[in-house]
Amino acid sequence: MRLFFELARRSFQRQLTYRAATIAGLVTNFFFGVLRVAVLTAFYGVQAEVNGLSLQGAITFTGLTQAIIGYLSLFGWYEVMNSIYTGAVATDLLKPMGYYRFWMAQDLGRAVAQLVMRALPIMLAYAIFFPITWPKSVGQWLALVVAMALAWMISFSVRFLANLAGFWTPNALGFVRFAFILMYFLTGFLMPLRFFPDWFVRLCNLTPFPYIINTVVEIFLGVLTGPQIVVALLSQLGWVVILGVACQLILRAGVRRLVIQGG
Amino acid sequence: MTPIIRVHHLHKHFRLTRNRHGLLGAVRGLIAPEYRTVRAVDGISFDLARGELVGYLGPNGAGKSTTIKMLAGLLVPTSGEIVVNGHVPWRERQAYVARIGAVFGQRTTLWWDLPVSESLDLLQHIYKIPAQQFQRNLDEFRQLLGLDAFINTPVRALSLGQRMRADLCAALLHDPDLLFLDEPTIGLDVVAKERIRQFIQHVNRVRGTTVILTTHDLSDVEKLCERVMIIDHGRLLYDGKLEFLREKFGGKRQLVVDFAENYSDAPVDGAEIAGRDGNRVTYEFERRVIAASELIGRLSSQYRINDLEVREPDIESTIRRIYEEKLLENASDAAN
Ligand SMILES: Nc1ncnc2c1ncn2[C@@H]1O[C@H](COP(=O)(O)OP(=O)(O)OP(=O)(O)O)[C@@H](O)[C@H]1O
Ligand SMILES: [Mg+2]
Repeated sequence: MRLFFELARRSFQRQLTYRAATIAGLVTNFFFGVLRVAVLTAFYGVQAEVNGLSLQGAITFTGLTQAIIGYLSLFGWYEVMNSIYTGAVATDLLKPMGYYRFWMAQDLGRAVAQLVMRALPIMLAYAIFFPITWPKSVGQWLALVVAMALAWMISFSVRFLANLAGFWTPNALGFVRFAFILMYFLTGFLMPLRFFPDWFVRLCNLTPFPYIINTVVEIFLGVLTGPQIVVALLSQLGWVVILGVACQLILRAGVRRLVIQGG
Repeated sequence: MTPIIRVHHLHKHFRLTRNRHGLLGAVRGLIAPEYRTVRAVDGISFDLARGELVGYLGPNGAGKSTTIKMLAGLLVPTSGEIVVNGHVPWRERQAYVARIGAVFGQRTTLWWDLPVSESLDLLQHIYKIPAQQFQRNLDEFRQLLGLDAFINTPVRALSLGQRMRADLCAALLHDPDLLFLDEPTIGLDVVAKERIRQFIQHVNRVRGTTVILTTHDLSDVEKLCERVMIIDHGRLLYDGKLEFLREKFGGKRQLVVDFAENYSDAPVDGAEIAGRDGNRVTYEFERRVIAASELIGRLSSQYRINDLEVREPDIESTIRRIYEEKLLENASDAAN
């Protein structure tokens, strides 16, 4: 536990030093957020609601999703794959610790830094420029915090799993990119899932993807209430466990296969 | 005493896909890929006792790094056995790596963006090193390796020599029983090399750490190793004392004599004249034919001598001869 904390803390500090990248990320995320607001406003036109979501809710949705891009590394994360390809994985495997937990700790530090440096400023900027909906009760805030934490764990495991493809092929980049494109659609990042046809939503719900973003959004907007929230959080927890086990098993097989490149 | 490393009939074969040229070749490659097997390590056996420091030598592509990676648990052997410190390295990775240290000269264990000291702190937590032991080791290594000048510098900003010193420190903080060094002096200047050699020697002598060292720099070997193993094409060609190698394959020794007079010719039994320059004559002789003392005795009874010097064949040319002329292969053929 201490080790986990120490690794996360170093990783957090490291993120803080990437100031220029953070500011660039902030500006980009906010700019595209404004674009998305414009598109959604046009889409709503005179309608007050689309599939049970008000325009204000939709605007909040764009703000929230733009804010957590960095926190969840939605637009790509190739660190494990790259370390397999450069051979850096070798030096990490020489350290007496679980490789999955090693990366998870470091990703936690990264995620928390992104939360502080990107998510909060973007939400604040949204609150200044647009009408948005905030959670209304302490319970809702608490549920949101739990959902965000679980969403990060699911996102981490999905990204880690995709990166493990690097153990099997020297050309895993395409595969990992594809996984991120899937995330883009199936998490409910691009559009709230409730805008899609029913059969599609039901299909998505069989995968871990909606639990990365859609659940967080629906709790934030107050779409889910009472027992629905409990079910959503338990489903997230279930995916955390399933994906954690999958990561460990596939990792073990990958390490067995490992052929470290270079002399 | 049971050996700390036992390697028995170790093999590692890599299977490579053969690339075929042209479009047709590419299509055929997809349908029926053709494989080529590289026998990187091809039946190696040896034992290592606790506290030894051996040089693991061989030309490029001989299979040195592949062997080290298997010993460190990073590669699974194709066949054969390895038992190190009571563990099968690749099978119980976490328990095993806690008791070894390794430096691969080409890459670093440290965190690229973190200052050296922060990386070392993280290693304390990773290896669960008690604070007192950590501090004691760190103080000792800082001084021996001269880390203070750059301990707060991020690893990415270190020079190669500095990084290598930091990596050596990192590999030893947890008092490993065994240290694997794959080309720890690669790309370093003479001073940096010397410093690293002294450190390795200290770790081996004072701390009793068992060390396996690969290198292309034979002065490393000369300075550090009593025992060497030479491999080529994945096979062990020689395993024994460096001294013996020198005696057996070292070629001729030289005796350089400054005579008090200018002799037009100065023959002596058991040696040949290899060159002359004024009063200075260089003789060549073989260890098994005549001892240096005997030769000097003969010369001084026949001529008047001012000064003399015995020159040993250098290990570098010895080992180069072994690789190039395949001396050891012929030697073992003759023995069979
Ligand atoms: N991952 C790999 N895939 C395929 N072949 C490999 C791989 N790693 C090593 N080889 C081959 O195995 C042989 C031994 O390589 P190795 O790296 O062990 O040599 P080495 O003795 O360390 O050489 P050097 O002195 O150049 O570092 C070489 O022919 C090399 O091409
Ligand atoms: Mg090598």
